[in-house]
Amino acid sequence: MIASDFVRDVKAGKIKLEKFYSDFFNDLRKLDKSYDCFINICEEDAFKQLENLPKGKLYGLPVSVKDAICTKGIPTTGGSKMLESYKPTFDATVIKRIKASGGVIVGKTCMDEFGLGGFSTNCAFKIPKNPNDVNRVTGGSSGGAGVVTRALDSPHIGIAESTGGSITCPAAFCGVYGLTPTYGRVSRYGLLDYASSLDKIGVMAKSVSDISLMISVIAGLDSNDLTSRPEPVPDYSKSVSVKGMTIGVPKEYFGEGVSKDVSDSVWRSIKKLESQGVSVKEVSLKMTKHSLPAYYLVAMSEVSTNLAKLCGMRYGLELPLNKDDGFNEYFSRVRALGFGPEAKRRIILGTYARMSGYRSQYYLQAMKVRTLIINDFKRALKGVDALVAPSMPVVAPRFDEVSKLTPLENYKMDVLTVAPNLAGVPHLSVPCGEVRGLPVGLQLIGDYLEEKKLLDLGGAL
Amino acid sequence: MVVDVYAETGMIIGLETHVQLNTKSKMFCSCPNSGDDVPNTRTCEVCIGAPGSKPLLNKAVIDKAMSVAIALNCTVNKRMTFDRKSYFYPDMGKNYQITQFDTPLGSDGYLLVNGKKVRITRIHMEEDPAKLVHVGGSIVSSDYVDVDYNRSGTPLIEIVTEPDLRSPEEAREYLRELVSILEHLGVFDSGDFTLKSDCNISIKGGERVEVKNVSGLKNVELALRYELIRQRNLVKRGQIISRETRQFNPDGNTTHLLRTKESEMDYGYIVDPDLPWLVLNDGDVKRVSVSLPELPAGRVKRFIKDYKMNEEQAKTIVGDKALADFFESCVKGYKKPDYVASWIDTQLLKCLNFNKQSIRKSKVTPESFMELINLMDSGVITERLGKELIKEFVSTGVSPKAIVAKQGLGLKTDSELAKVIKQVLKDNPIEVNDKSINYLIGQVVRATKGQADPNKVRELIKKSI
Amino acid sequence: MVDESLVRKVAGIARLSLSDEEVKTFTRQFDDIISWFNEISEIDTKGVEPSFHPLKTENVFRDDVVKPCLTQEESLVNTSHKEGGFFKGPRAV
Repeated sequence: MIASDFVRDVKAGKIKLEKFYSDFFNDLRKLDKSYDCFINICEEDAFKQLENLPKGKLYGLPVSVKDAICTKGIPTTGGSKMLESYKPTFDATVIKRIKASGGVIVGKTCMDEFGLGGFSTNCAFKIPKNPNDVNRVTGGSSGGAGVVTRALDSPHIGIAESTGGSITCPAAFCGVYGLTPTYGRVSRYGLLDYASSLDKIGVMAKSVSDISLMISVIAGLDSNDLTSRPEPVPDYSKSVSVKGMTIGVPKEYFGEGVSKDVSDSVWRSIKKLESQGVSVKEVSLKMTKHSLPAYYLVAMSEVSTNLAKLCGMRYGLELPLNKDDGFNEYFSRVRALGFGPEAKRRIILGTYARMSGYRSQYYLQAMKVRTLIINDFKRALKGVDALVAPSMPVVAPRFDEVSKLTPLENYKMDVLTVAPNLAGVPHLSVPCGEVRGLPVGLQLIGDYLEEKKLLDLGGAL
Repeated sequence: MVVDVYAETGMIIGLETHVQLNTKSKMFCSCPNSGDDVPNTRTCEVCIGAPGSKPLLNKAVIDKAMSVAIALNCTVNKRMTFDRKSYFYPDMGKNYQITQFDTPLGSDGYLLVNGKKVRITRIHMEEDPAKLVHVGGSIVSSDYVDVDYNRSGTPLIEIVTEPDLRSPEEAREYLRELVSILEHLGVFDSGDFTLKSDCNISIKGGERVEVKNVSGLKNVELALRYELIRQRNLVKRGQIISRETRQFNPDGNTTHLLRTKESEMDYGYIVDPDLPWLVLNDGDVKRVSVSLPELPAGRVKRFIKDYKMNEEQAKTIVGDKALADFFESCVKGYKKPDYVASWIDTQLLKCLNFNKQSIRKSKVTPESFMELINLMDSGVITERLGKELIKEFVSTGVSPKAIVAKQGLGLKTDSELAKVIKQVLKDNPIEVNDKSINYLIGQVVRATKGQADPNKVRELIKKSI
Repeated sequence: MVDESLVRKVAGIARLSLSDEEVKTFTRQFDDIISWFNEISEIDTKGVEPSFHPLKTENVFRDDVVKPCLTQEESLVNTSHKEGGFFKGPRAV
């Protein structure tokens, strides 16, 4: 049942929320037991919300939230021991908007620690399992959101976040839709920062209709986030025919490293669009192979400053204060204890990339390459409505395969998602078939603020 | 110390001064910028650096900072970012400070100190960290710290000079000029906000030493004086002065080592992505330029012209904006502003200094001060009495009229004087002539404890004979 | 070439205490990663302006207005290191 129909039935009195949620939380707990997808299930707070629920667009709808997004008074851990006990004193703007529309926050989903990872295997608490095959990863870093969206039978929409592909990857690996909006389309206020110029809050759902519903609630200017876009939010609900649209197929996204099965699945979907009157043309994104190191340099530089605030004071993990420790020793001990290995790696590498003597050749150079990547997309998107490409080069790998990867090999898995994320262009991951029972995703990439076109095209698939 | 001594040491001084701006709310959040000093009652998720919070730039900070850059004759930068300066310290909310590294707001300006151009290298905006209390001792010996984030996020401008200053006294004069300009611009209030300087000093044969975080004006002079002596002694003993950072101890007026050059900090600057570019156009700069309030240099000229003051008087009074404002309130509609000026410049300032007060903190108001002036003007009391009276008036705040009434200090009336004169003439049975009259007047004045106008006494004595 | 002393130095700046084991492992991994980073030096960026933000964003501010802030208790709620209304921290030297 799509979310808008659910809301309609709730408003009509056909669904009684108290009863619905009693059953719902039983299901949720079962789901969590099977797939380890929640860091926190918010049953008590959800029922409290029911006491006075605004009758808006999301009236009564269950919403799960990636644990990187601040929920007032409810633990917001970022998937890290560092913030295991952190209870924000404020709601993120997206939470405020969801609640004001009648959406019910049901739980905080598992994620790679602070978004640092591509398989959700870097979560400090639980590692989520892929519902299509529990021996396989969910993708990351919004793995928990991917699981819940895929495996929950009841109507539900997941709020997730992407910095380098953290919505697209789990959407593709779990087999659901995932929208990463234009940078700034959705307010970042209340989002635990990974990389401030790259982070975007987005939506995961089982249908384009659900994505459209949620994005229309959360998108729009926020005075609490100076980087949020002032452009008006269009009506995402009215889908239009894709006949006459043109899509570009970037050849670099189908090259070596992308499995043939995945490629073929994507091409089948491209053909489907063609049959509906969409023209297809080949384009080139020549900066693709440079995107990975540029992305990681930008992301690591920024995250190493964003995570500096976590030091055993004011909030988060603490150790006893003793007179023998000066502040440097104390901070260093707490941070060593609270951060996992990937977080430590990226903090150190990011610190290095912006140190004097290295700052020009790494941090600044990466920012300049970013300009070239942005221009690359501008060129490729000229004259087309969207680009189509595989979301990930492979289907969901097994846990034992992933554990053998070096950090660098891990990073290289993001080859198809980092560029659109660096450029800040919107992209929608759409399920497009299966390979040996495992979902394949394709991504539609649009120009800035063209989410509507992506939803129209995604809906046609 | 004499100027020659400074020249012989080859002392050169540069200051980096941090000024707290008097906006209503903080730089990146809407917490009050001043007020309640109960710890951690003026904070929010932004200024304590809570995960998930984002900085929201206060427009007034830019307007005020721009007015400073223009008043100090700087070139205003038209395209700016804010940057993250990373370092770990217990007074930081985020362990990075939002500042301007690559693109400062102003550059290549100057300020005149006694006619000498002190060059301003750069001016930029940044946020203040929290306040630390070192529990159980001083910064070096404490067991732990208590932190108050009320101050965290207060907007600062940092003003950096070239090493153009040549003595501790000149450094203090520079700061005095600077404060006067800032107060006249309306961006700083010495009563409620603080000014701190990092002082850079080197002498011949030594490297540059930085004394960090010195509060106010007097301490800057003291810190520099101490450093000069310390460094000269090192040179005399044949020891090396190397690049280092020191801290000033206001208790003993000394400095001690914080860190050497080897442990210099690497701040790993990046542009802060949470803040959009700041882009100004010529129109913005012009708008601020034309609406600048009257600055000290202009005000001094006007005081000399309109109030017939001499230059030194004018400079003294204008040098403290509150005093200059006080003066102008006093002389509104009053015919003898130069008289008021000299009374302020000498007697009032003397009393305020004696009571260790500034005009803004004292109980003296323009109304009550003019009461005193009018009492003298109308002949109720003499100037000599006025000089006595002002001491009590400044320290107690009791109105001059009330003091006069309570102590019966007014000049005696003609009939009272007549009585005294009669007695004095009786006690001094001498011939009244041009020679003896002065003596007799003196006796009358003495008998009335100064509450007699000598000219009036002369007139009455002549009448009585 | 990334060596252990560089890793220790940068970890120190980042306030992360590393075990000897960690230093060894990271040195090996960083050598790989930084060589890979070095590839971007080959890209010609002459005359290219850096993009610190992905979309152009300029002149967004907040008015100088005071709004309600946290109470002292709310401010201190997420830490156990507090006394007399202050946050407590390790000594500053």
